[in-house]
Amino acid sequence: MQFLAPLFFAALAGLTIPVLLHLTQREKKQIVRFPSLMFVRRIPYQSVRRRKIQNWLLLMVRMAALALIILAFARPLLDSGSVPTAGANAREVVILVDTSYSMGFGDRWARAQAAARDQIAKVAPSDRASVVLFGSGADIQLRSTAERSRLQATVDSATPSPSSTRFSPALKVAGSILADSTLPKREVVIISDFQRGGWRGEEGAKLPEGTTLTPVAVQDAADKPNLTVTGVTFARSSFSDQQRLVVTAGITNRTEQPVKGSSITLEVGGLTVGTKPVAVEGGSSTTVVFDAFTVSGRNMRASVKLAPDALAADNTFNFVVSPIEPVHITVIDRGNAASALYLTRVLSIGNTPKFEAVVRQGDAISDEDLRKSAVVVLNDVEVDTPLARRLARYVEQGGGMFVAAGPRARWPQEVDALPGTIGQPIDRTRGDAARVGALEYGHPVFEPFRAPRSGDFSAIPVYGYRNLTAAQGAQVLARFDAGTPAVLERVVGRGRVMLWGSTLDVSWSDLPTKPVFLPFIHQAVRHLAGYTEPEPWLTVGQVLNASAVTARGPAAQRVVLTPSGRRLPLDDEGTDVLELTEQGFYEIRGDANQADAIVAANVDPAESDLTPMDPREITAAAVGGGDGSGGAPAGVPLTPEAKEKNQRLWWYLLVAGILLLGADTLLSNRLAKA
Amino acid sequence: MARETHAVPGAQFMDPAVLARIGNLELISRAVADGFINGLHKAPYFGASVDFAEHRGYVPGDDVRRMDWKLWARTDRYYIKEYEAETNMNFSVLLDASKSMDYGSRGITKFEYARILTACLTNLVHHQRDRVGFVAFDDEVVEYVPPSAKHMETVLHVLDRLKPGRPGNLKKPLHKLAEHFGRRGVVVVVSDFYDEPEAILDAVSPLRFRGQDIIAFHVLDPSELEFGFTDAQPFEDLESGEQMPVVPEAFREEYRSLVRAHIDALTRSFAGVRVDYTMLDTSKPLDFALYRYLGSRAKMMKVR
Repeated sequence: MQFLAPLFFAALAGLTIPVLLHLTQREKKQIVRFPSLMFVRRIPYQSVRRRKIQNWLLLMVRMAALALIILAFARPLLDSGSVPTAGANAREVVILVDTSYSMGFGDRWARAQAAARDQIAKVAPSDRASVVLFGSGADIQLRSTAERSRLQATVDSATPSPSSTRFSPALKVAGSILADSTLPKREVVIISDFQRGGWRGEEGAKLPEGTTLTPVAVQDAADKPNLTVTGVTFARSSFSDQQRLVVTAGITNRTEQPVKGSSITLEVGGLTVGTKPVAVEGGSSTTVVFDAFTVSGRNMRASVKLAPDALAADNTFNFVVSPIEPVHITVIDRGNAASALYLTRVLSIGNTPKFEAVVRQGDAISDEDLRKSAVVVLNDVEVDTPLARRLARYVEQGGGMFVAAGPRARWPQEVDALPGTIGQPIDRTRGDAARVGALEYGHPVFEPFRAPRSGDFSAIPVYGYRNLTAAQGAQVLARFDAGTPAVLERVVGRGRVMLWGSTLDVSWSDLPTKPVFLPFIHQAVRHLAGYTEPEPWLTVGQVLNASAVTARGPAAQRVVLTPSGRRLPLDDEGTDVLELTEQGFYEIRGDANQADAIVAANVDPAESDLTPMDPREITAAAVGGGDGSGGAPAGVPLTPEAKEKNQRLWWYLLVAGILLLGADTLLSNRLAKA
Repeated sequence: MARETHAVPGAQFMDPAVLARIGNLELISRAVADGFINGLHKAPYFGASVDFAEHRGYVPGDDVRRMDWKLWARTDRYYIKEYEAETNMNFSVLLDASKSMDYGSRGITKFEYARILTACLTNLVHHQRDRVGFVAFDDEVVEYVPPSAKHMETVLHVLDRLKPGRPGNLKKPLHKLAEHFGRRGVVVVVSDFYDEPEAILDAVSPLRFRGQDIIAFHVLDPSELEFGFTDAQPFEDLESGEQMPVVPEAFREEYRSLVRAHIDALTRSFAGVRVDYTMLDTSKPLDFALYRYLGSRAKMMKVR
């Protein structure tokens, strides 16, 4: 007899437990009331070691039960050949069925199902078969069963998914199933259209030794026309206060057959906006420009749809359009138009996003101004305590603030919101002017200047600056050449505050006249406003971050409505992310069951490239040997694990142990009553 | 013992077999030579009686009615006639009603045994025309029936409803009683004497010092003597509630020797202060114990 897990015998030490129980339990059974322990107290205490075992039968039953359970955990197996083993020809078959959307081309899916049924029909009663459906991932539908009816039903109920083809995960899943198998013969059958795009050859998917890999190609000559919408681009314009959008769709013909007389339709909000004719030569691409339409509301669902062809899934391209919201900025200035000139000019440029700046004097700031503003710029002004408190509260509630510390800048000490204290002015008009350096290129504000020749801050002379001292929790983004912080940033509550140690006009530095000024201010304002460009679409297989797209904190009751109509709750306990598995529009609904956000999901256009590959490439890589026809020779001795699994001695031992424990309970109850 | 309802409360203690054995014995006080029954015993006091004791010279203030005029006629001196006082003895039983007495392994608890003993003695003494009193104590005096010739039934009634409850302590109640018992008599202390011999002696000393004749009955259950337990079990002290694990087989010999030593120490200590001490085993018949004790008392009297 052998044991697969002999370490469990260490648990035999646990056999002392019933002995101790036996010796200690009876003591606790009854308390003897005695007139006085006066004499007993004088006798030295005797330890339990000297106590006698009262009931040998009970003790033996308990110890035998524990010993049997430990023996079961040690997983014994018998070496004798008398124990029946699996048949020498029994097979473990894994049927991998490609369900990527390219299988919807022509009659490929029907032929794939037929091929799977053929394989299932070959499964003998001693065999075990598994069905794995794979696209970009692999999903075990049915594992190691000999029930052909269930296998058939699984294949019959499967349909192509919107995912793309990846062979490697499927082979890894098959490998794991085979590795667990005890049957002597192992086979993998891949039923696929074997697209070139699904195999990169580098994945390192290896099947266990002796596995036979049988590719079943259902590809056919891609002679049917197949057009694909590869993407859309937008051109925005404004017309009498309304945003208008021109959609340009890219169309590729993946086949060699030229396509003429087809059409493409743009639908917005369920209404057809325009239809254009399409004509594409074989193996080439074209673009179709639709007429401009007005973006009337947020989260408008839009699709471009090609006329039906042999592969339907890649004919539709979904996207979401919303009017671009301008970023409102309030510039607090001392009322001198010249001081904010450069700043307001810079902010008036740009469309993504558009900045709308209003200039106010410190005492004219209303709550409405603050409520509307995404960013407040303090352009070298003296801030009194009440205003400072209002601004600090504004930042804590999620606003952004940019402070330019020129000669007049003052911030009350008692309000803790700035990333640093504004010290004495430093005059660098004599001698060399100060330079800005040590930029934190990893920060979003300076990230565009990372590459060489993409803006040089050190070339800008600064003639005067304030001696800044970084506060606790502030990050120094840039320094003057003397080592004093030049740009500081700090997170305050839900908002951010950035402090620039000089002016935004030409009184103290040449910065506003330099090319880096515009991207610096734009990046800083975008960053402070928390602006992110909305993605008009995602691809199936990508992960949707619900809290990011709704720009709200995680709500208590949110659900995602999938294109097929399923409702998936996004609760606080679960993650806030969701893998996109369907083509169409996902709705994220909030508390009031209103759509907070809509996300368009499209199939991966690469999957529509039906260029085939040689399946032997996969066979060679996965089984390591030329044709993959290797296999375990008949009558190979079973591994100890396989023997143990077949014999299942542990099961009988465990049952016997549990029965003995039951007997122990009965016995001890009787003894207790006696 | 089966409890039956009788016309007199406490009458169930009057076991006829017990009384039949002890009824023909005299309970004789050692120090007090006063008779139990009028005229039978002599008292050390002179008083109004028919038994002439002696003459003594007249001193002014003596009652002239007690002058022996015949002797005056013969001797021409004034003499007063003195007579033997015909006294009745005060007999009090001090019963330990502490919680430790409420223990019995053989169907009768020490307290019940002591109660029967008290009733028997009271009955016996009552029939000798002596005054019977009764005191129950734990760490305080719980019940007090002053000695009286008419208190027999009261004593039995009090005995009947008495229940042991609290932890006991000899010293405090006995010291208190010593001050209370003005008149000398016989005091019977019935207890299990769970205390150090020195402390017990200290407790009874004031009584003895004031001239009481003390008889100590030490009531013990056979389990307390033999420690015949078999299983290892936790033992709980009846009075303190303290628990401790005990392995009787390992403890037995030492326990027995400790109990023997305790009894021996009590015997020696009580003998030293002339207190009669008897150990009573509740498994032994009560009449036998009484008979043996009273027999030994009678022998001692004869020796004197």
